Amino acid sequence: MRSPYPLNKIVALAIVVFGALIALEILAAQAPPSVWDGVYTQEQAKRGETAYVERCARCHRDDLSSGDSVPPLAGTEFLSTWNTKTVGDIFDRIRTTMPSDKPGTLTRQLDSDILAYILSVNKFPAGNTELGTQTELLKQIQFDAFKQ
Amino acid sequence: MCGRLPRFLALATVLAWASAGTWSQSAFTDNDWPTYGGDLGNTRYRPFDQINASNFDQLEVAWRFKTDNLGNHPEYKLEGTPLVVNGVLYATGGTRRDVVALDAATGELLWVHGEHEGERGANAPRGLSGRGLAYWSDGKESRIIYATPGYRLIALDAKTGEYSKGFGDHGVVDLKLNDDQKIDLIHGAIGTQAAPIVTGNEILIGAAFVDGGDIASKTEYKGYVRAFDVRTGKRLWIFHTVPMKGEFGYDTWLNGSAEYTGNTGMWTQMSVDEQLGLAYLPIELPTGDDYGGNRPGNTLFGESLVCVDLKTGKRKWHYQLVHHGLWDMDISAPPILGDIVVNGKTIKAVAQPTKESMLYVFDRVTGEPVWPIVEKPVPQGDVPGEWYSRTQPFPTKPPAYDRNGISVEDLIDFTPKLRADALRFIQSYAIGPVFSPPVLSKVSGPLALLTLGTNNGGTNWAGGSYDPETHLLFVSSCSSCLIPMGIVPAPKDVSDMGYLKGIAGQPVVARIAGTGAGESADALATKDKGMKGIPASPATRGPPRIGLSVDGLPLIKPPYGRFTAIDLDKGEIKWQIPFGPTPDAVRYSPLLKDLKIPPTGESGLSVGSLVTKALVIAGDGAVGTSASGIRGAALHAYDKATGKEIGAIYLPAPQTGSPMTYMLNGKQYIVVAVGGATYSGEYIAFTLPSE
Repeated sequence: MRSPYPLNKIVALAIVVFGALIALEILAAQAPPSVWDGVYTQEQAKRGETAYVERCARCHRDDLSSGDSVPPLAGTEFLSTWNTKTVGDIFDRIRTTMPSDKPGTLTRQLDSDILAYILSVNKFPAGNTELGTQTELLKQIQFDAFKQ
Repeated sequence: MCGRLPRFLALATVLAWASAGTWSQSAFTDNDWPTYGGDLGNTRYRPFDQINASNFDQLEVAWRFKTDNLGNHPEYKLEGTPLVVNGVLYATGGTRRDVVALDAATGELLWVHGEHEGERGANAPRGLSGRGLAYWSDGKESRIIYATPGYRLIALDAKTGEYSKGFGDHGVVDLKLNDDQKIDLIHGAIGTQAAPIVTGNEILIGAAFVDGGDIASKTEYKGYVRAFDVRTGKRLWIFHTVPMKGEFGYDTWLNGSAEYTGNTGMWTQMSVDEQLGLAYLPIELPTGDDYGGNRPGNTLFGESLVCVDLKTGKRKWHYQLVHHGLWDMDISAPPILGDIVVNGKTIKAVAQPTKESMLYVFDRVTGEPVWPIVEKPVPQGDVPGEWYSRTQPFPTKPPAYDRNGISVEDLIDFTPKLRADALRFIQSYAIGPVFSPPVLSKVSGPLALLTLGTNNGGTNWAGGSYDPETHLLFVSSCSSCLIPMGIVPAPKDVSDMGYLKGIAGQPVVARIAGTGAGESADALATKDKGMKGIPASPATRGPPRIGLSVDGLPLIKPPYGRFTAIDLDKGEIKWQIPFGPTPDAVRYSPLLKDLKIPPTGESGLSVGSLVTKALVIAGDGAVGTSASGIRGAALHAYDKATGKEIGAIYLPAPQTGSPMTYMLNGKQYIVVAVGGATYSGEYIAFTLPSE
């Protein structure tokens, strides 16, 4: 007697369902991360603060407010300027043009730590994973400054 | 006379000189843009109407010129206005401030010249690409004149880019020499980012310095203005912006302070009336942007408009716009020359836009105000050692064209809660009208003075424009550029100023590098520099404050920026509009999502404009959302009579240099410098589609 649900069909259905679940998971995993997803750690931001004070505060001020002809790194103007760009864009701008008296001389790790500090001051949440140092990967993190 | 460092490497490279036919030996015409401001009166006007209200939206890119490779890393602050003469466009660009000559029709590179200045360039107080250059021709020979970041005046053959023969030492005049003061050739932080001005056979040039209220010393070089012979580079005259003993104005510097105080330079563009034989020099404030205790007195010619004889440099008249400045007002914008008609009488006028958003209008022959300027008492401060002027001059006409002080009425008021939060926020600060004195900063408050019309303006270096047909002056201004002005005692190992700009509770620091310093291509050649007083450890730091904002929104209510037309015949504001797009911080604020916010304009340094027979044109200085709901930055065209927007062309990045225009082969072009955030400096030329 033949089963109304042949084994091969059940197996095939199971494979389809499983495959679909995997695909959904992959899709979810591939949704672009943003600065709201905890893309740096508190420890990294603390390291970045030390580097910031030594390397950046000379022009951008202790409170990141900057001043005469120097763009601020916190607050409405900073967020509006970089909104819709990526963390990698900011990283590369720092990497290639800063610090202004010796552009391009910090290590990628220091650039990343400083950026983590800037993110923390701008109240983006910390997470469990450190911000990386590869521009192309950082460019996958959206700088959605104003969560909608 | 002119010592030249032997290691400078000239990069003059003749790539090609296009067809000889593109070069005419005749003098420039109305079709050209031969000097930074369009003409020596800085009107930024050209009588063209090919691009007009009916077709502005159809503009398309004719060519682009990216400046990344002019220097060893990209620049994001391209502020130049190119020149065009007889089909060739000349411009400065890049972190090395190279000069390029381009085919003005196609953007093709004809030649490029760059100077490697080593440590001298790295010590420049004003690095990066600068505002531009000057053109000279006697009909046979033509020259391009510019100043390097390291403060050397270079003359180049306009056809080839090679050093001009007979000028200085092989085409170079060292501006640190022959300046009536001894300047360290390598470390002396004096320079300029302005475009030199050529009038007749003279080159006129000023000076700029490390800027700021947080400086290491009260002793600084002085920013004299000089004229040089365009053929030989020989100095023709010098004007002492800080008078020497025995000269007029020396007695306005009390306690001998003229001997050591410096700055008082001319860092912005000047104007010239060749018919009258007069030059108009806009002079900045003396050393110490916010603390003047080391320079008691009214200190001429600080923040004065000075008219001098073109042939001799002798002072004809002057008017001090700010006595004993404490606000970094300077005179930041080019004076604008126009012949106006007031009560039926024609007056050769000079109009001076300012950071304090007051327009000062004078008879440029006599220096008499066209409308009375009255001295009024102003609030006095209590910073130890400070010297205060009891009065300051206020024009009676036209009215101030933007905010130049703060009252509670200027604070954010989208909702009652936001207004209440703002009132709570300013409890820690002092606020006040124009010329309110900076305050001694205390942790218990006030932390600083908050006012407007100071450091960043109002109207900054980009200045205004003027329509000689309608006698309308156009000017953009920041309505919300807040810089806290607190004064703190300066530790002796940080500065000998006694007091510096700062906020109580924060480290007291002193800058020894200036705007754009170090970002220049020569920066890598030096060791660390830039700041004194930075603490070694952040251990004692408190939590950082995020700017002058309330719940993530600007403390000041809209408009954040304005664009204004002023009728110079009447001394009245003809029209005024919010200028610039609404910032994302406002557009996307969850606190405002149920409100309909009209266009707010943008905050940030004022932008330059261009006037033609048909239009007045200016580009956004920031990315945001326009009245029509488009997010981006655009070049806008307005009806000159009403301010109604009649067209917009979207740019890849905000406007960073002022737009200019020229006619070539029957076509009108508009060129503008753009850049910022992720977009490095680029000149873009627009024209109408070919039929």
